[in-house]
Amino acid sequence: MQSSPQAVPRLTRPTQGRVLAGVCRGIADHVGVDVRVVRILFIIVGMVSGAGIVAYLFLWAMTPVEETLGAGRPIDPAQPVSAQAQNPPSPERTGGTAMPRGSVLLAVGVLTILVGGIALLQGTGTDVRAGILLPVLLVAIGAVVAWAQLDATQRARWTGIAGWRGLGMARLAVGIGVVALGLFAFVTRGQSAAQVWDVALATLSILVGTALICAPFAVRLWSDFRREQDARVRETERADIAAHLHDGVLQTLALIQRGADDPAYVVTLARKQERELRSWLYGSNEDPSQTLAAAVTAAAAEVEDLHSVAIDVVVTGDRPLDEGGTALVRAVREALLNAVRHGSPPVSVYVEIGPDAVEAFVRDHGAGFDVDAVPHDRLGVRESILGRMTRHGGTARIRRREPGTEVILTMPHQEPDPDAAPRARARAGASSGASAPSAASAAAPAASDANGATTMNGAPRIPETAEPTTIQGESIR
Amino acid sequence: MTVRVVLVDDHHMFRTGVKTELLEAAPGVIDFVGEAANVEDAVAVIRKEEPDVVLLDVHLPGGTGHGGVDVIHGCVGVETAAGAPVRFLALSVSDAAEDVIAVIRAGARGYVTKTISATDLASAIKRVADGDAVFSPRLAGFVLDAFGVAAGEIAEVDEELDRLSAREREVMRLIARGYQYKEVAKELYISIKTVETHVSSVLRKLQLSSRHELTAWAMGRRLI
Repeated sequence: MQSSPQAVPRLTRPTQGRVLAGVCRGIADHVGVDVRVVRILFIIVGMVSGAGIVAYLFLWAMTPVEETLGAGRPIDPAQPVSAQAQNPPSPERTGGTAMPRGSVLLAVGVLTILVGGIALLQGTGTDVRAGILLPVLLVAIGAVVAWAQLDATQRARWTGIAGWRGLGMARLAVGIGVVALGLFAFVTRGQSAAQVWDVALATLSILVGTALICAPFAVRLWSDFRREQDARVRETERADIAAHLHDGVLQTLALIQRGADDPAYVVTLARKQERELRSWLYGSNEDPSQTLAAAVTAAAAEVEDLHSVAIDVVVTGDRPLDEGGTALVRAVREALLNAVRHGSPPVSVYVEIGPDAVEAFVRDHGAGFDVDAVPHDRLGVRESILGRMTRHGGTARIRRREPGTEVILTMPHQEPDPDAAPRARARAGASSGASAPSAASAAAPAASDANGATTMNGAPRIPETAEPTTIQGESIR
Repeated sequence: MTVRVVLVDDHHMFRTGVKTELLEAAPGVIDFVGEAANVEDAVAVIRKEEPDVVLLDVHLPGGTGHGGVDVIHGCVGVETAAGAPVRFLALSVSDAAEDVIAVIRAGARGYVTKTISATDLASAIKRVADGDAVFSPRLAGFVLDAFGVAAGEIAEVDEELDRLSAREREVMRLIARGYQYKEVAKELYISIKTVETHVSSVLRKLQLSSRHELTAWAMGRRLI
């Protein structure tokens, strides 16, 4: 969830580790300097000319709140969903009062300084025109309180925490009240209450009249705005779909029409387009360079395109792609290439990404092949599959099936998930009884251990009786 | 004995194609007694004909918009003349997990994609007519994923609804590897009948399990 260290984070106002509205913290994160430096700079500039305060308010208004809190955590397919479901978001992330305590202290301090400063100036005989300054100050404070509430509402929408509505409304009311008081004080300077009443009534009637006239326009403007916004969203979506159809489906259809006399070509095109459309409609959009499942799927798709033979891919579980995983994917690809070249369809691959190892099964229905019969100069099977797997600490077996061949690849995880260990042990206990019937492991465990080293060197000393042929590397653990 | 089949699909071309291919591939085995192109027609035809097997497209117009699921819900309790329940075999171009889980949990006895060969489809129909379940490799993979088998969860007792037993796991893994039932049987030294029992039991678990991970899994992929 964290952005990578190289990437500069967007300028946002974080909800954690802030004093007032998070502007300084946000800038510090964005620029990459200590937050204290930013704060001191703001205070100095604010003290000297007041520009700091204006800049702070401007940034407060214009900078969006950090959004990560409300975004749902993606489910990690490699972890059992139960574990993820039972693991609630950590409390320090969801907590956080709407207004940090520091801001109250800050507000009190600033007020004290202001009042003290005014009193001091009055005392020295300078006319600070308190009659104007105080109401303006009141209006400003009220506005800040009301805006802060707006800010909190926005944040509550991201975090999904409703908070205490009553408090929010009270704060809004206080803010508006203070602004009204300030305006009132401003207007009533040195006038009697009766005069003010007349003025207030006149102002109110003008306001109401204006509102009455403007309301229909405002409503229409608002609904127009909404409609336009909706239309734009739909338009974007439509353009997205149209672009995809144009780049993919229409091109393919054109190619199919031109190549209609070549059935194999048409089948390849149709199959490729189907896969692409399918992954666009239902796909997980995982990056093949990141996760094992996506990498296997991509490798199978590549082989499918190269040889226009349909390959059924089934993958369960997932994990990040590491070195062993990459080797496994390459071996799977090689096995698939063999299957589509020498075997016959249906070709299928099943990859099970378990807690302690990855197992891959590549199956075809051809005449089958014999490792012994493979010429020495043909490196495909021996080097790209068997050699590669053993070099990375995995194992490879090739089994003759009644029709066809099955290549079985196993690659233990290089750094086992610590919390998966107990489950892995439980599973090993369960499967030792259940999965034993695999003829290879039952028939030739001793033989495979004995000849494992020689076969690794490429010497063709595979016992003729060993069918299915078993080739294993050094002990895995 | 011929299997009485109703074919439900909204594409006329596809219905014709399936009928022709099936009659060619397995002559005398399948008797098409009716067809329908939308949910309402399908329910009416099935209630009238009481077929052994309904070949059901997952995406259909009409009903409440849930396609094949609506048809299954509309035909609850319909029985054939012999007293067996009408059985559904889902047939779809989509192999999206949400379609699979929805139609299986609604009560279908199996799920095959439209790319299946006519011979395989004929044997799938016969199997469903006999009350057994039909699992494609993809459906088996889905089951293994959804029941947390890949993460190493195994039921202590066979009756446990929320997890697969060790044997069921083995059967599912072999099916995911593309094995036919008879190959599975040979591999595990059990009879085909036993394989069918295991598969049916997995189907029952898939339909009845209230396993919250199943729901959470689907939710995580925005399937529900």
